[in-house]
Amino acid sequence: MQKPHDAFLSLRDLRKTYGATVAIEHVSLDIRQGEFMTFLGPSGSGKSTTLYITAGFEDPTQGLVLLNQKNLHGVAPSKRNIGMVFQRYTLFPHLSVAENIAFPLRVRKWSEEKIREKTAKMLKLIHLDGFGGRKPAELSGGQQQRIAIARALAYDPPILLMDEPLSALDKKLREELQTELRRIHRETGVTVLYVTHDQEEALRLSDRIAVFNKGKIEQVGTGVELYEHPSTRFVASFIGNSNFLPVEVSRQASGEFVLTLPDGAKVSTGKPDHDLAQGRAAMLMVRPDRMRLEPISTNEPKGPSVAVKIRDRSYLGDTIQYTVVTSWDQELNVRMNASHGQVTLWNCGDTASVAWEASCGMAYQDK
Amino acid sequence: MLLDFSRMGWPLQAYLLFVAVLAAVFLLGPIVFIVALSFGSSQWLVFPPPNWTTHWYQQLWVEPGWLEATWNSLKIAFIVSGLSVMLGFFTAMALVRGSFRGKSILRAFFLTPMVMPVVVLAVALYALFVRMGLTGTLLGFVLSHLVIALPFSIIAISNSLESFDFALEDAARICGASEWTVRWRVTIPSIRLGLGAAALFSFLVSWDDVVVAIFMSTPGAETLPVRIWAALRQDLSPVIAAASTLLIGITLFFMLLSALLGARTPKSSAL
Repeated sequence: MQKPHDAFLSLRDLRKTYGATVAIEHVSLDIRQGEFMTFLGPSGSGKSTTLYITAGFEDPTQGLVLLNQKNLHGVAPSKRNIGMVFQRYTLFPHLSVAENIAFPLRVRKWSEEKIREKTAKMLKLIHLDGFGGRKPAELSGGQQQRIAIARALAYDPPILLMDEPLSALDKKLREELQTELRRIHRETGVTVLYVTHDQEEALRLSDRIAVFNKGKIEQVGTGVELYEHPSTRFVASFIGNSNFLPVEVSRQASGEFVLTLPDGAKVSTGKPDHDLAQGRAAMLMVRPDRMRLEPISTNEPKGPSVAVKIRDRSYLGDTIQYTVVTSWDQELNVRMNASHGQVTLWNCGDTASVAWEASCGMAYQDK
Repeated sequence: MLLDFSRMGWPLQAYLLFVAVLAAVFLLGPIVFIVALSFGSSQWLVFPPPNWTTHWYQQLWVEPGWLEATWNSLKIAFIVSGLSVMLGFFTAMALVRGSFRGKSILRAFFLTPMVMPVVVLAVALYALFVRMGLTGTLLGFVLSHLVIALPFSIIAISNSLESFDFALEDAARICGASEWTVRWRVTIPSIRLGLGAAALFSFLVSWDDVVVAIFMSTPGAETLPVRIWAALRQDLSPVIAAASTLLIGITLFFMLLSALLGARTPKSSAL
């Protein structure tokens, strides 16, 4: 999809093993300059390992890291000129806030005057002017992480690595800092590699997201791409909510796939991005917010639909969430918009029909 | 709380107060006694002193051996303190950070001088050093005191290293710091309280020691505690009380100094 010269940071077929354990394999990724790229995945999926290899704290067992076409193999972390913010608070406790930010500049032997100037500028960037004289222990966790960002950006590194920097903060502070991060990214234009296990955080922050699972990248794409067209079952279940319906795959003469639900209903699917094998079981994924409840009609249904019984209803203000049960006793979640206040409220025990657009259904087959 | 002092009722309160005062007198009494005697005019150590004088302190200057012994003690204690912190730091780094077979055995081994009877250690060191011609030399005193001081250093520094987050070192590395800068500007300043405690304990262990020093001493080359002990065997003079007060005074001075330095760095991770 990208031309090679677009790649600012390039990970080429990275593999890392610890003894017999494979931490990551076949990790290849091109990141454009100025991009906010997030590694998303459950813990142990290899996202942090990939980040630490990029930083130089871990050496890959195999594969290359190229920054601006330069091979970083064998280059010590201190020589990579990369910025990094860690999961834990890593400000130097014995130094003031200003001295923490100045640390990488002193190491680089900047002049006293330039250091003062840059430190003031960084404090302004993170909106903590006037905090220069304080000690890290006097500040809140959120403020400490902002200073850690200022320290990591003080020497204008080409890329900023962030390893779950907000995971120690409470929800409200986390959201505040996410907004801050977006602003800082916008203002500095720095390329960011961000690691998180929080899909909402990933969607909120990133230009593109690489979804990690079991040491491999499952899919790379924008939030919209991942939500609308997840290429694997894992991505579909990890990002957003999803219903998985068991189906049997058959093929029509026209070449179109037809999926048969357990109750015998035949449904068509959206353009299958991936090949399905005929005669085998598969899973059809439909997002709860793409399903709607309709009265059962005797007419031939226009799109895919399933007869269900309402089991539970939660009114959430902007949406109404239903738990419904199919004839083969599977629970499905249906989320309907309630903004107009005209939606018919279904009651528990009612029978209805769950319908969706064929293009909203994504089929996955276990390999 | 069950053990809240203000809710105990007065009989129990009075009893506890009595016990506390008794304990304080028991601990501080000898010190007050010896200090008072050092300023007393009686040659026979009569208590309470009939009159007050600083004569015995002047005697410390005049009588041979006292100043020299004090100077020896200070010199030895300072060198031991410095070496003990340095070796203790390297050892603690290996014990805390390293992952190698037999680590816990090695750790226990380093702490044996603390649990071993000092006199056994002293005899062993004497047997070795007398053969090497080290008794009565500065090197002999320093090496033997280092043996009993090092465990304290290792414990104090290990404790502070264990509460030190090594992610700070990674943060410094990615900032561009060399390994040397990382140690010098991040690790060492972060554990400075532990290093200070190690220095103080080591100093006091050496300054205080009489058992090992007796074995290491030769006529003319002795430490202040050994000089006191030797003088005591000859005759019971108030000069000994004056020397003892000097010993206590210098000890107090270094403890206060470290307390002041410690108080200047609030909110850091303590020992």
